[in-house]
Amino acid sequence: MTFRFDRDTRRRWKNLAMNVAALFCVVLALIPLGSLLFEASVRGFRSISPSFFTLTTGNGGIGNAIQGTLILIALTSVIALPVGILTGIYLAEYGKNRVGAAIRFFVDVMTQIPSIVVGIFAFSLILELGASGIVDPRLVFSTTTGVIALSTIMIPFVARTSEEALRLVPISTRESALALGIPRYRAILRVVLPSASSAVITGALLGIARVGGETAPLLMTCLGNQFWFGGLDQPCESLPHTIYVFALGPDSALNQAAWGASLILVLMMLGIAIASRVVIRLRSVSG
Amino acid sequence: MAAKIHTETMSAWYGPKKAIEDITLDFEEHAVSAIIGPSGCGKSTLIRCLNRMHETIPKARVEGKVLLNGEDIYALPAVTVRRRIGMVFQKANPFPTMSIYENVAAGLRLNGERNRDRLDAAVLESLKQAALWDEVKDSLEKSGASLSGGQQQRLCIARALAVRPEVLLMDEPCAALDPIATAKIEDLIFDLKKDYTVVIVTHNMQQAARVAETTAFMYLGHLIEVGPTRELFERPKETLTESYITGRFG
Amino acid sequence: MPQAAERKALAKGLEKLNENMVTLAELSELAIRKAIDSLTRLDGEVAREVFTIDQEVYGLQLEIEHTCIDLIALHAPVARDLRTITTSLKITTDLDRIGRYAKDLGELTLQFNPSARGTEPELTRIREMADRTIQMVDTAIDAFVKHDAESVRDIMHVDDTVDRMHDENFNELVRRMTEGSLKIETGARYILVNRYLERIADHAVNIGMRVVYMVTGDWLPRERAADRAKRIPK
Repeated sequence: MTFRFDRDTRRRWKNLAMNVAALFCVVLALIPLGSLLFEASVRGFRSISPSFFTLTTGNGGIGNAIQGTLILIALTSVIALPVGILTGIYLAEYGKNRVGAAIRFFVDVMTQIPSIVVGIFAFSLILELGASGIVDPRLVFSTTTGVIALSTIMIPFVARTSEEALRLVPISTRESALALGIPRYRAILRVVLPSASSAVITGALLGIARVGGETAPLLMTCLGNQFWFGGLDQPCESLPHTIYVFALGPDSALNQAAWGASLILVLMMLGIAIASRVVIRLRSVSG
Repeated sequence: MAAKIHTETMSAWYGPKKAIEDITLDFEEHAVSAIIGPSGCGKSTLIRCLNRMHETIPKARVEGKVLLNGEDIYALPAVTVRRRIGMVFQKANPFPTMSIYENVAAGLRLNGERNRDRLDAAVLESLKQAALWDEVKDSLEKSGASLSGGQQQRLCIARALAVRPEVLLMDEPCAALDPIATAKIEDLIFDLKKDYTVVIVTHNMQQAARVAETTAFMYLGHLIEVGPTRELFERPKETLTESYITGRFG
Repeated sequence: MPQAAERKALAKGLEKLNENMVTLAELSELAIRKAIDSLTRLDGEVAREVFTIDQEVYGLQLEIEHTCIDLIALHAPVARDLRTITTSLKITTDLDRIGRYAKDLGELTLQFNPSARGTEPELTRIREMADRTIQMVDTAIDAFVKHDAESVRDIMHVDDTVDRMHDENFNELVRRMTEGSLKIETGARYILVNRYLERIADHAVNIGMRVVYMVTGDWLPRERAADRAKRIPK
């Protein structure tokens, strides 16, 4: 049997080699993720029980942590989504000049700021305001400050994703709307934005997922709370914080609970990712 | 017949670059006028100045006068001008999230019309005028994107007509269509001129010859010659015109 | 920068058309010259040559017609190309007619008794008219070949001269036949010659008018036979 090593064969071997290498890299990349999901599931599963959700962190459960995270996410979204999306609209529709370029650069920088720095910012902001008597100094460690910090992270993120989403809408759609004699703002809100809605929603969901998992800023702002949610001016518990405290503590029961909390947090993130996929599917079918 | 639109030494720029220069031109009422010329001659820029779409491009500028029935369109609100002078673009672009009905009604709805009966009547009439009614009357709630290319373009024409403009500008409307679809739209234009004034930009000279009463030839931003289509195609006055229409350059 | 194109297919078609038109024109002119020559010298041989030419003329005219129709169908010509093609279509008719009249003149030549040679009546005016007619045909065809509109712009006025000569000839022929100095048979035939020459001149004028249109796009107004008839005194 003669082994032909002509050009064609060489090409096919090269192709195969590249495919294998790429596949190998994919597997390599997925290993941490897979292992993480696996560990979290296996170890965390043991903590799952009805009392896990109904007890506060003071008593070994994570009920108030879940509550805290949800409240933080909700309040942050209420502030950050409108501001972020409107900023995104501005950048996409009106921001083709130098002012727009400056704002865009600024927003980009803000998305890169380490979250702990954002935490320090929120902390010191309220500290200064408290020192000068404008607000109650005790607000430094409270839900409010936490929301300020998380919003500062979420707004630029949502602004950028919204801008990108709107950029995807072809110019011809805008032009057709304008050519009908529709005022510009209405053309944007009623024609362009709906066309980009699935991308905007996806961006919003990703933003929520992002802040849901933020830990560092919460360390400096919300601090922690062993009890159920006590008010906007009170410190607030959150899942990331709980995981941090439980995992580093000496109590092995709490260490185990940390795994449980991790599992819950991961499932929440997964849930949001799935939700965004569902949204895309739904909108593209009806569109 | 009166000139529906009159431009007076109109020039337009994209930033520092002058795209068209000193265009003085009349567009006759209830007639079809065609603008022909090689790529880059400024014909699309010209037509966009007529409904103030040129200025939507950043750093774009227009000088000179454009009169609609004697009124200076640059003294009126841009939104008003665009309602009276409609436009159809080269690539058919129905609004992606809207149904056929919603697309046609969009111009009226987004300008405040809420009355369902009036909207229904407008959609019916516009789709009939665009020779599309029979093909879509049973599927008005379907997405605009479910139609063929030629149908989509007629949908866009219906959408433009629904706001009852006086003038319809068409920027190479058949460029992306097959010959049958093109012929259908040319027939449509033939019928439209009873009620509207049509200005069509086309790179297909034969199309200009087929549909337009008056044809203007542009080259490198200047108006070279304008006259009755018959004359332009039988005995053009300028050598440049003759070279272009005989296909010696293009 | 716009791209230049030659439109090779159309250019080739137009070239072939032009060649054929020139050939046709030259043949028609040759036919009429030979016809006049044969009549002057009552030469039967030359007369028969005219018949052959006329056949060729007819065949060539048909071919040209087909070429023109093809060019229109395939290339959608405009402006100068269009005018050239449609003018060619019309001129072939005139050239064909000229050939036909040449043939008719040839037939007349054959009808004259060869023994009558040497006894032709004094018909200088007919000869003058023939010369003038040939000149007109020559001018018109030359203008077509050279695409020169200027030389034929006033061809109509020369035609007026020919028309006048026709009327005068007719009157003189009738007078001489009445007073007996010219045999009726001969006179009748020369009336036909007179007629044919005048018609040939008309066709030359047609050609001239169309050449002007082809080159410049101008339509020159043409006096129709009805208007000319008004000039004949009752």
